[in-house]
Amino acid sequence: MTRPLSATLDLRESGGARSICCAACGHALADAGQPWKPAATVRERPMVGIAGAPYSTGPKVQLREFFCPGCGALLDTETALPGDPFLTDIVRP
Amino acid sequence: MDPITFEIIRHRLYRVVEEAVITLKHVSGSAITNEGHDLMVSLYRADGSLLMGGVGFLHHLTSAAEACKHIIRTFKGNIDEGDVFLLNDPYTAALHTSDIYLVHPIHHQKKLVAWSACFVHVYDIGAMNPGGFSPESRDIYTEGFSSPGIKLVEKGAVRQDVMALLLNMVRSPEMVALDISSMIACGNVARERMLALIDKYGFKTVDRACRSLIDQSETLLRARLKELPDGRWEARQFLDVQGEVYRVTLAMTKKKDTLTFDFTGSSPQSPYGVNCSYWAGWGALFAPLFPLLCYDITWNEGMIRPITMIAPEGTIVNAKRPAPVSIATVGAIQSVNNVACTCIAKMLSASEKYKDEATAVWHGSHVAIFLFGKNQKGGESIGIMTETFGGAGGARAFADGIDLGGEIPNPISRMANVETVEANFPIRYLFRRRTQDSGGPGRFRGGAGGEYAIVPHDAPDGGIHFVVSGKGIQYPMSEGLGGGYPASPCSYQWVHNNEADRARNADAKFAQSVDEMPGRKEPISWGVFPLMGEDSLYVRWNGGGGYGDPLAREPATVLADVRTRVVSRETADRIYGVVLNGDASAVDEPATRARREALRAARFAKAAE
Repeated sequence: MTRPLSATLDLRESGGARSICCAACGHALADAGQPWKPAATVRERPMVGIAGAPYSTGPKVQLREFFCPGCGALLDTETALPGDPFLTDIVRP
Repeated sequence: MDPITFEIIRHRLYRVVEEAVITLKHVSGSAITNEGHDLMVSLYRADGSLLMGGVGFLHHLTSAAEACKHIIRTFKGNIDEGDVFLLNDPYTAALHTSDIYLVHPIHHQKKLVAWSACFVHVYDIGAMNPGGFSPESRDIYTEGFSSPGIKLVEKGAVRQDVMALLLNMVRSPEMVALDISSMIACGNVARERMLALIDKYGFKTVDRACRSLIDQSETLLRARLKELPDGRWEARQFLDVQGEVYRVTLAMTKKKDTLTFDFTGSSPQSPYGVNCSYWAGWGALFAPLFPLLCYDITWNEGMIRPITMIAPEGTIVNAKRPAPVSIATVGAIQSVNNVACTCIAKMLSASEKYKDEATAVWHGSHVAIFLFGKNQKGGESIGIMTETFGGAGGARAFADGIDLGGEIPNPISRMANVETVEANFPIRYLFRRRTQDSGGPGRFRGGAGGEYAIVPHDAPDGGIHFVVSGKGIQYPMSEGLGGGYPASPCSYQWVHNNEADRARNADAKFAQSVDEMPGRKEPISWGVFPLMGEDSLYVRWNGGGGYGDPLAREPATVLADVRTRVVSRETADRIYGVVLNGDASAVDEPATRARREALRAARFAKAAE
C-alpha cells in the first residue's frame, strides 16, 4: 500500500511495517508518524543571490534543502535563520 | 424544502452580492476600489452570522460578521429600517482604520431579517501619514478616525453631523465622501434585491433556505476534512521592519472533521503597525481556507464552526490595544494568509484525492506605496500604486504559477494600467514589466512578480511624496512547496538624480531596467519620502513560490522561460541544470544531463554551489 504524505514523500507499507519514503526512489526515511527530516541530507546555505539577482535577501537568511539520501531528490525547502528548528510535519498513519 | 427552490435561492443570494459589488464599483471613483478591488460585500443573517460571502479581500468576511454582531449588541432596540452603521475600529472588528465597514440592517415588514456589510479602503482616514498605512504611527491613536460603531444613516437619511465629523478628519474629503456614497449605494442595492427575493418566495421559505445553506456548508466542509488525513503541519514567516525581525509561526492540526490553527510562538507585538488584532488574524486564516478547501462550498457561518484559532494575546497576530495596526493588511494578516496557505497545501498534498489542489504561496508580500501631493490638474491626489495588487501566482501541483497572477486572499484583484496611474498622478513610468528570476524555482515555477520605476512628470510642486510600508525585503515571503524554492523578495530603491543626464540632454536614453538607472540607489523601506526633481523610485515585488524539485523541470520548459526572459540563462544552468546552446535556441541535451548529474552529486556532498 502506498499513499502520498507530501508532494515528494509517500507512506509505504511492506511486511507489516509502514515507512515514510522518498516518492522518487522509495528510500525509507522514518517510521510512519515520525519526523523524517533528521534522516534527510540537509544543505543550508545563504539565500542571497541563490536563484538570480532578485534574491537580494539579508545575509543571515538561509535556504534549507532536504534531500533524499537515496537518490538526491529535493524533498522540501525551508527559509530559516541559523539555529531555527526544522519545521515538523506529521501525517497520522 | 425542495432542492430546486433551495438552489434558486442560493443562486439569488449570490447574485445579490454580485450586483452589490457592481454598484460599489460604479459609484466609486477610486482606483484602489475599481482596479485593486480592495473591497468586500457579503450578506449576514439577522444575528450577524455570515450567510453569503462575496469576493474581494476574503479576510473581511468573518470580521464584518463581528462588526454586525457588535452593532446588534451595542444598538439593541435602536436598529431601524433604513439605518446604516459605520465601524472601523480594529480592536472591535475591522482590520485597520482605513477599511471602513458600512453595515446595513435589512428589515422585512418591520422585522430585522438580515444584514449586508461592505468595505472599501477609503482614500484617507486622517492617520499621521496619508492613505491609510501609517508607518510613522506607534499607536492606534495616530492611525486616524476610528469608530467602534456609529449610526451614519438614520431611517434613510444621512446624519450630516456624523458625515461632517468624518470628513473633517480626513484628507481629500470629497473623495472619502464618494467612497462612503459608494458603500451606501451598495448596501441599498443589497437590501432591495434581498427584499425582492423575500417578496417572491416568502420570508419563511427564504429563512429556511438560509439556515439550510449554512448547515450544508458545515456538512460539506466537515465531510471534506474527514476525507483528508489527520496530522499536524508547521509553517513560519519572517517580517522585517526597520531592522527588526518578527515571526509568525503556525502549527495547524487536523483531527477528524476539525482544524485548529495555533499561532503560539509568534513574536510579541511590534511598535510598528504591522500587528493585527484578534478578529483580523481570525479573518486572515479564512482567506486561503475559503478558496483552497471550500472552492465548491458556499462561504458562510457553517464553514467557521469546525475551525479553532489559538492566538496568544500580545503577539503580532493578536495585538493588544493601543498597538498600531494600520499596516496589518499587508503585515501580520498577509503572513497569516501565507502560513495558513502553506499548511493547508501540505495537508492537501497528503491526500491522493486532493493533492492536485495544493499550491505554493502566492504574492507573499505586498509592496505598499501611497503617493500624495498636488497633481498636474491643480488638485490633490492620494492613492496607492496598484501594482501591489498585480501579485504573482504560486506554483501548483500540476502547473506553473501565473505571472503577475494576483493573490489568494483576493481572487479578483488586479493592477491599473500605467496610463490610468499617469492620468491621476504627476508621474511617468520609466518601465514596468515582469521581473526575471523572481518566481520560485521548482518542477513547476512560481509566477513572476514585477518591477517598475517612476519619475515626477508635470508636477506643479516639482514632484510628489510617497509613503512606503515595506517588508519582505530581507526575507522571502512566498514560500515554496514540496521542494520548490521560495520566490525572490521585494525591493524599494530611491534613485537619486537618476534623470540628471536626461535633464541636460533630451536625447539621452530612458532607463529600461534597474541596472541601466544611472543614479545613486538608496534602499528604503519605511516612512515618507520625496519623489522630486530628477529622482526616481524603483520598486520590485516578489514572485510566487515554486513547487517540486527544480531538477525535475522539463528542460524544454526552462528553455521557453529563458527565451521569454522570465528566467536567466545563469539560473537555468545553476538551479535547473539546463544548458542551452550558444544562441539559447535549443537545449544542449548531453550537457544538460551532465550538469544535472553534477548538481545531484553535489547534493550528496552537501557542498555549497
